[in-house]
Amino acid sequence: MKCPRCVQVIHRGAGLCPHCGFGIAEMDARHGKDNVSLRRLADVAGLMRSRERGKVQSALDGFCRRFPQLFFAVYTGSAQGGGNLRQFGFWLLNRAAFEDVPVDRPNEAGILLVIDPESKSATLTWGYHLDPFLTEEDTFVCLSRAHAYFIEGRFAEGTVVLVEQLGKILSKRAAQARRDPERFERKVAPPPRTGEIARRIREGHRQVPVKTTEVIP
Amino acid sequence: MKGLVWMLSAGLAAGAVKAPLPEWNAADKTAVEKGELVPGLSLLGHDLPEEDAAAPAAQVPQPTAEELAEKEKASTEVAEKYWDAYFGERPTSFLVDPQGLLSTKDARDRESFLKYHAGDSKVDLYVYLFDGHQSIPSEAREEELVERFFSEGKPAVVVYYFLGAPQKSDIYVSPQLADSVSAAEQRRALISSVEEALEKPDALAQFEAFCVQLSIRIYWMERAAGLVTEEVAAAPSPRRAKSHEAEAKEESKIVVKAKEWGVQYGPSAGIMAAAILTVVGGLAFARRRARYRFPVFEVAPRMGGAHAAGIGAVISFGSTTQSPSSQRNDVPDYLGL
Repeated sequence: MKCPRCVQVIHRGAGLCPHCGFGIAEMDARHGKDNVSLRRLADVAGLMRSRERGKVQSALDGFCRRFPQLFFAVYTGSAQGGGNLRQFGFWLLNRAAFEDVPVDRPNEAGILLVIDPESKSATLTWGYHLDPFLTEEDTFVCLSRAHAYFIEGRFAEGTVVLVEQLGKILSKRAAQARRDPERFERKVAPPPRTGEIARRIREGHRQVPVKTTEVIP
Repeated sequence: MKGLVWMLSAGLAAGAVKAPLPEWNAADKTAVEKGELVPGLSLLGHDLPEEDAAAPAAQVPQPTAEELAEKEKASTEVAEKYWDAYFGERPTSFLVDPQGLLSTKDARDRESFLKYHAGDSKVDLYVYLFDGHQSIPSEAREEELVERFFSEGKPAVVVYYFLGAPQKSDIYVSPQLADSVSAAEQRRALISSVEEALEKPDALAQFEAFCVQLSIRIYWMERAAGLVTEEVAAAPSPRRAKSHEAEAKEESKIVVKAKEWGVQYGPSAGIMAAAILTVVGGLAFARRRARYRFPVFEVAPRMGGAHAAGIGAVISFGSTTQSPSSQRNDVPDYLGL
């Protein structure tokens, strides 16, 4: 878990970045705090032809079918109003209202790809539900697969390749989580309080039974 | 070298001594000043004697147009003594060169190639060789000769080749081929062979290239005429044909063995293959239809984001020469710029 501005590791549940003080209020001041109405494929920069958009749309649909809890969204355009692409992706996924996403898939279950043709860069941002299952390294692997296509200006093909790669990673993680959910829960569990630490010391650091996880049917 | 220079200078000096210098007197000087005498005029403007200039020109009869044409014809046409050898009968060799334009060795080489072609192909190739500046006498009608001499026996392609001037060559086919090989196809074969020949620097190499290319084109003529029945017969090399036969024999053994195996293990192998294909297909189908679900954990919001705060990598695609790793952007943005 990193801060989108200073790229420093921050602790779970930090209201503001303890290193640089970054929070969404700062981005709201730049871009506005109202919700932004978007579709899953928002080619604002016009990087894809209509036929290519069809291919990307079908890739996004396929992703939604394979992962019934999740959705994948694409935004092409520059971050107007300043801030780097990480901050913009963070703000957009928090403020976007996706028109073509069912209500049972909240933004917490979303993954957003932002492609900025002006700064020639791309980034991935994901919702809280995916926090235990995705890492920055995973997103780098996906972006690397699409890198060659992006360089050549084949953004639609690159996006399709990226979605496929992400699908492979997530399918593996889903299988691992089915076998060993505690391993992933530990990544996002709140830090133990001081009293809890003292209790563990008294009990000789015995493993506390993990509470059962809720699984969306 | 020094001696040569000395001798040359000595000779020049001797010549300079021997040449008489002009002598002038006062009267000459006066005449020159008045313009009556031009120095050297007596040498340059020496007229012919009167009697020579006045003599009538000798009465030589001018050659007539017929005589000129005859002379021209006689100089380019093949000498009459070779006519019988060229056009008197069906040639006994594939290379017809009664004038001996090729050396013995070259003639033997070309003849052996044409023989090899005849052994390998169902269409013979006869080449009448003339010199580049020569022309075929008008009395010999080439098409009629071909019809007369080559209407029987193996089909043949007859070429009149001019050594050093392959572009003058002409092609004819025997009556057996005339129906199946069109005139256009004949011209194409000839043009192709001439082009091949013209790429070579000297006349002999041109002739060799011409024969080889025409031999190749004759193979296609054979196919067009439906004379090729077996692939082995059309193979260009007899040695290769032999090896093909040997391979065919080997293959036949292999085929026999394979048939035995097929009879013995065929049904079980087929069943096993079908089972494997079914399993693989089923797995692929199941994987395609698979739905992946994740357990949902409580995650405390960060940095005021109600829905998301998962910050992934940023990658730049500005440079075509740098790797994705080197274009990974991990630079902090403390000032929010």
